[in-house]
Amino acid sequence: MSTLPWFVAAWLFAVGLYGLVTSRHAVHLVGCLTVCQSATYVLLLGLGFVNGAGPPIFYDHPPGTPAVDPVVQALVLTDIVVGAAVSALLLAIAVQVQKRRHTLDPQALRPLRPSEPAPDR
Amino acid sequence: MSVRLRLVLLGLALLALAPAVIHVALALPGFGTPTSPYGQTVNVLLPDLRHVTNMVAAVNFDVRGIDTLGEECMLLCAVTGATVLLRGARGEGEREKAGHVPGRPVTPRADATVLACRIAASLTLLVGISVALHGMTTPGGGFQGGVIAASSLLLLYLGEGYAVWRSLVRGPVLALLEGGGALLYGLAAFVPLTLGRPALQNILPFGTLKDLYSGGLMIVVNAAVALSVTGSFGLLLLEFMEETRVPSDESVPDEEGR
Repeated sequence: MSTLPWFVAAWLFAVGLYGLVTSRHAVHLVGCLTVCQSATYVLLLGLGFVNGAGPPIFYDHPPGTPAVDPVVQALVLTDIVVGAAVSALLLAIAVQVQKRRHTLDPQALRPLRPSEPAPDR
Repeated sequence: MSVRLRLVLLGLALLALAPAVIHVALALPGFGTPTSPYGQTVNVLLPDLRHVTNMVAAVNFDVRGIDTLGEECMLLCAVTGATVLLRGARGEGEREKAGHVPGRPVTPRADATVLACRIAASLTLLVGISVALHGMTTPGGGFQGGVIAASSLLLLYLGEGYAVWRSLVRGPVLALLEGGGALLYGLAAFVPLTLGRPALQNILPFGTLKDLYSGGLMIVVNAAVALSVTGSFGLLLLEFMEETRVPSDESVPDEEGR
């Protein structure tokens, strides 16, 4: 039981990494990156957990009662917000790739090639 | 690069990293018995030192305030990058009317949808502001509150349709919120410097524990983050929403009378 969170984090990271490596679609790629990132949330929150302790908010229970580590929670918080913004940036890049290359398959992309005219639809 | 080749490369990289990963994994403390004294020190000291009850906010906005300034800049850069990328291809011109594919029927929204979305959007905005304002006392803060407030914009779009939504939500206002929030954070870091103190030093009176005014300078920083996050996520919504409108001259206005 005491090692379960670490295995969950490792499994999430492995699943995300496998998706990243085998991805054939840029939007899928961004999703896989998000899965990888959620592994870091599990790991960080697991690192700060204290057996039998409450939340690090001393509103209902007085300061001094056992509480979990607030530092890792703060890190996860900013991680989530910045991660969401970075995902948006990556998706914006995906939109540009689709517009210029008319594909979202990373394998079909070749560097340093002038952009093609739009195919007839 | 084929998938097989990529998997082989991944395998090689994992082999190279394996000794370090195994070393770190074996050194992890047991779950529930952390060894880092940092967090517990914060829990013991901060309620007295800063008169706040939410330790997560205290870490974010005071103890590691400079870190959060960095995060704030990352957020600003990511959103600016996304906006520049999307606008770069589309142009600055904004379309007040939604595009419409000829031949596709326009289904008006049910009144119940409009009403439900208006109520839900107002409530969501209120919850967002409340969560942001009470960041120093109860769970919440600028990051969470800002995201909740920005998501109310999406509900507004769901209920009102594109044209009305665009007349309500102005890009420059959101950009001002985003940049203004970051500027406010920068000022909160800079003003103590002009007084000969360290950057971001908490120079305001701390207020009383469990009060809406508690934490001193943390309140300013919290508000700056709330503004910035609201502006950032609102701007991202707006830019991606614009992207769904194909800028072609043949498109006719959608959703007449709404």
